[in-house]
Amino acid sequence: MTAQDLVQQSGLGERKWRRRSLWALLLLIPLTLAVDGYDSIKALLADNDLFARRVAWGQSVHFGGSDWKLTDLRGAFGMANLPPDSVPVLADFSVKVGDPDLQKLWLGCKVMLIDAAGRRWTPTSAVTLKASGDVQTCTSAIFSGARSGDTLNLRETFLVPKDVTKTIRPAVGLASERPHFLLFQLERD
Amino acid sequence: MMRKTANIVLLLVAVAFCYGLQMSKPHYGDLIGPIPARGKMGETIVGRNFEARAEKVAFARNLKVDRFGETKILTTGGVWAVVTVEFAARAQSTSVAVASWRGPTGLAYDQTERMSFADGLLPVAIDPGLPKKARLVFELRPDEASNATLLISEKLMSALDSQAEISLGPVATASDGLPASTVDTLDMSQPI
Amino acid sequence: MFENAGSRLKAWLVAGIGTAAALALAGVLGAFGARHEPMQLLAPTGRIETGQWLLRPLRAYTAEGENLYGAPLKPGARALVLEVEMTNRTAKSSKDYFDVLQATVDPSSKPFIVLTRDSTLSPELHPGMPERMAYIWELPGGSAPPASLDLTVIRKTYKQRDNLYGLPGWFNPAPAGTLTLPVGSGPDTADIQP
Repeated sequence: MTAQDLVQQSGLGERKWRRRSLWALLLLIPLTLAVDGYDSIKALLADNDLFARRVAWGQSVHFGGSDWKLTDLRGAFGMANLPPDSVPVLADFSVKVGDPDLQKLWLGCKVMLIDAAGRRWTPTSAVTLKASGDVQTCTSAIFSGARSGDTLNLRETFLVPKDVTKTIRPAVGLASERPHFLLFQLERD
Repeated sequence: MMRKTANIVLLLVAVAFCYGLQMSKPHYGDLIGPIPARGKMGETIVGRNFEARAEKVAFARNLKVDRFGETKILTTGGVWAVVTVEFAARAQSTSVAVASWRGPTGLAYDQTERMSFADGLLPVAIDPGLPKKARLVFELRPDEASNATLLISEKLMSALDSQAEISLGPVATASDGLPASTVDTLDMSQPI
Repeated sequence: MFENAGSRLKAWLVAGIGTAAALALAGVLGAFGARHEPMQLLAPTGRIETGQWLLRPLRAYTAEGENLYGAPLKPGARALVLEVEMTNRTAKSSKDYFDVLQATVDPSSKPFIVLTRDSTLSPELHPGMPERMAYIWELPGGSAPPASLDLTVIRKTYKQRDNLYGLPGWFNPAPAGTLTLPVGSGPDTADIQP
């Protein structure tokens, strides 16, 4: 082989490896992004209610170790001292406790109303309506010491504009089940 | 010879470029700071999750508050500024908790902590579709009242989240140094 | 060895000059003078400047009961009250006044700090607005009230970028001086300065 052939050979080797490195970048860059972002994505999924599980009317769904069922969604029209064009809405749930470790499973319990545009309402403290003794909110149910097999009656009160009462649906999110959350359908859906 | 000078020139250009990059990099505090949403008084400023509209500013020498059934007069060494702002949430129920008054010289006055029991102060809980009014109360030097900016955000650590910056415009000053519209006592127990 | 002596000597010289230059630079920047400065004795009448606060001590006295500006002390306790006019020299409202004055003689219990204007407990003080504040130390029961109050004034320095978050703040508390105030008995003690 002449000296020129040798030079050409080494040139070819260099070109081949340069090409291989560039192709490898196609794999390495997404891999780096994935490794770097892994913790952030885990935190994002653990803190946000992103994926809805639809629950048909009257159906009971196993969620957070217990069986959840929506029993009623109604508005309390005609109340005074409220902001204009707003109406209090009550969402009632009947929950059959399965796993009684509610302090762990129901931590971060968030009951919301979601409308057709995706806007979310959380329970309000501006309105208090009298309820019978065994009805409680989700957060107080966590510490109620319920045992497996008990049925809890939960009620949350919201304040929503009058024009969304047709499209709002109740939803429940728990820290143990995030990013999934329950979206209850009404009878007319 | 040409090669050498070309290399040196390239090196100098690279040095100048890198120096320019280093000098023009924003301060870390600005990089992770709140994202401003600017506007004037009377305009609705749209943030990421809340909207704010400053309606009016009132100045007073004293404030009258009802505290546990007793009336208290709050005095100040400067002047009281009470801004009425209407808030609305956009996509989710949230609460607006932090507001400060930035005077024309850059001094930042936080909300007063002397009136935690009065009506309409921050934090205010807002729901989508239901606008709500609140009163922001500040205690300032009279020379910081004109051409000030109101900075409002949901949380104290609003890194990379919206902060409403509302320019409150010029305020006429009277001969005693206080704003011309200063009243003697403003009754905070009146509805907003 | 002899032929390397020249280059080894050069190496030693360079190392020596480098070390000497580093020490000289440190000395110029003040590393060696810092720990030998004596504690400054401040005049109680007049103004005391720390980085964040402008202080004007007004009076100190012992009091009890209703004269304590509503501070949550034990019922029937006696307290040492120091009234001082404070002005925030920074550009932002701040309540970083808990460590500015430290009592050396009196009990090292933490004082309650009250705005005397309306007895608000530890409010934020706003830039450029002087306010009369009261530092209230609870005196241990049964002890004789002190005749004078020794205070150490602590100052912090401003850093535009701190080492953790890169954000501006006031750090590194260091004593700026000491002062002594006479302690009166009862809230009708006169101010020591107008």
